[in-house]
Amino acid sequence: MTAPLKVLIVEDEALLAMELESLVEEAGHSVVGWATSASEAKTMADSVEADIAFVDIHLSDGPSGVDVAEYIGRKNSSMVVFMTANPKRIPDHFAGAVGVIAKPYTMNGLMSSLRYLQECIRRPPPVSTRPAGFTLSPLFEETLVSAA
Amino acid sequence: MDWKGSKESADAWHMTDNLHAEQGKGDPFAAAIRATRMSMIITDPRQPDNPIVFANDAFLKLIGYERDEVMGRNCRFLQGPNTDPSSVDRIRVAVEDGTDVSIDILNYRKDGSTFWNALYISPVFNDKGELQFFFASQLNVSDRKRSADRIAADKDRFEKAVKERTAELEAALEAKTTLLHEVDHRVKNNLQMISSLIIMQRRTIKDEAIRASLTTMLERIEALSTVHRRLYQSKDVSRFDVADFAKDLVTDLLAASGRAEIEPALELEPIIIPAEKATPVALMVNELVTNALKHAFKGRPDGTTGGRIGIKMNQPDSHFNIEVSDNGVGMDSATGDASFGMRLIKSLARQLHADIEWRDAAPGTRVVISMPNETRQKGSFS
Repeated sequence: MTAPLKVLIVEDEALLAMELESLVEEAGHSVVGWATSASEAKTMADSVEADIAFVDIHLSDGPSGVDVAEYIGRKNSSMVVFMTANPKRIPDHFAGAVGVIAKPYTMNGLMSSLRYLQECIRRPPPVSTRPAGFTLSPLFEETLVSAA
Repeated sequence: MDWKGSKESADAWHMTDNLHAEQGKGDPFAAAIRATRMSMIITDPRQPDNPIVFANDAFLKLIGYERDEVMGRNCRFLQGPNTDPSSVDRIRVAVEDGTDVSIDILNYRKDGSTFWNALYISPVFNDKGELQFFFASQLNVSDRKRSADRIAADKDRFEKAVKERTAELEAALEAKTTLLHEVDHRVKNNLQMISSLIIMQRRTIKDEAIRASLTTMLERIEALSTVHRRLYQSKDVSRFDVADFAKDLVTDLLAASGRAEIEPALELEPIIIPAEKATPVALMVNELVTNALKHAFKGRPDGTTGGRIGIKMNQPDSHFNIEVSDNGVGMDSATGDASFGMRLIKSLARQLHADIEWRDAAPGTRVVISMPNETRQKGSFS
């Protein structure tokens, strides 16, 4: 049994954050924080330790999710996964994020993505297949290929 | 220029007005030049400042001066404030070099009005190659110039108008694209919220039947979600690839069921349908696959629950066929939610003008849906 993941949620929609938290916990992981804005997310990233940050592009202070990803990426403390209904807003280099879960995701799509990410973090390369709706950044895909 | 050169040119006097008018009038060529409608003058470069020594009536008529006002003067009195200095320069250089020149130049009449003069100047040499005169003809080309100017102005105006209109259209397109992205974003977020609400509510419910009902509802909503996730991924938002969708859907439903003993068998040709058909087609495929998952592999005499769910998509002609099959226990009498699912499938089939057929595949069931695909018929495949 691999160790559960610590997850930071950066999402301005309370309903979606709430449900995401339940799903993460149902999958046996823990949520270490929920931020609704870029500034909150950055403060939180400085104070808590997380394995994964799920970052929405559109936050309460504007389309600042890319900013948050870059900030967390520079600290190199957590893997960033975008979670957005607007994947076209993600820059080609993914701003340091490892991938994107496109909204709307299905419940199973999210569970499979969590399983896949857990494998990526705890014992790469992952053995399960990458779920539909989950896209890897070009850089991270290369990293996985060379780890295989 | 050496205007002090030889003065003994033999025929110079033939054409001068003031000195040898009588003889000139007797010369048929001189008479022709005097009377022609073409404005003509002769200047004498051997005299100081190259003065006019002959001018015909057409010239005087063109510029509005009397003969005694022009004789002995250099032609530059025809220039004015709006005459292009570079044109004047070209004439000066040609006169200095003793070469000919053809040029459109703006000239001024005595009354101050202007006209465009298609001026042609050529030097006249004697047998020894010495420069004797300059012969110049003038043609009023103001009309031609005006229409050329008007055409140029029209062209500029049209180009400007086209540029403005293009900018407007580009701005409108950008606004439309932004709006489309915004609406798309909201639709996706709302679909996510709807499924979140259903999942949350389901968590609070103990009754298995109600939970199952909410699960079925969640599956239907998620089928719509999968459509929308796929719909705006491509550049062309008006087309939808059903095969990609089916792959996502079946993988997701099988994984969600947690039943590893059921295998998918996919034979999917890429099939593009218009976006407005995406939702009904997706819902129909969802019903058929979830139906098979729920009912096809239970109650076998030997107690096994494994099997295969197949989806085949192709378009042999202008029709598009979907086949969903299983090798389970065969057709079940539809009850409860299954009968609602059946009604849903039949209604969607009607909406799509699709023929739908249930076949006993022994073992299992095969459902074949066939519908016209206009995208293909219109030949608008790109």
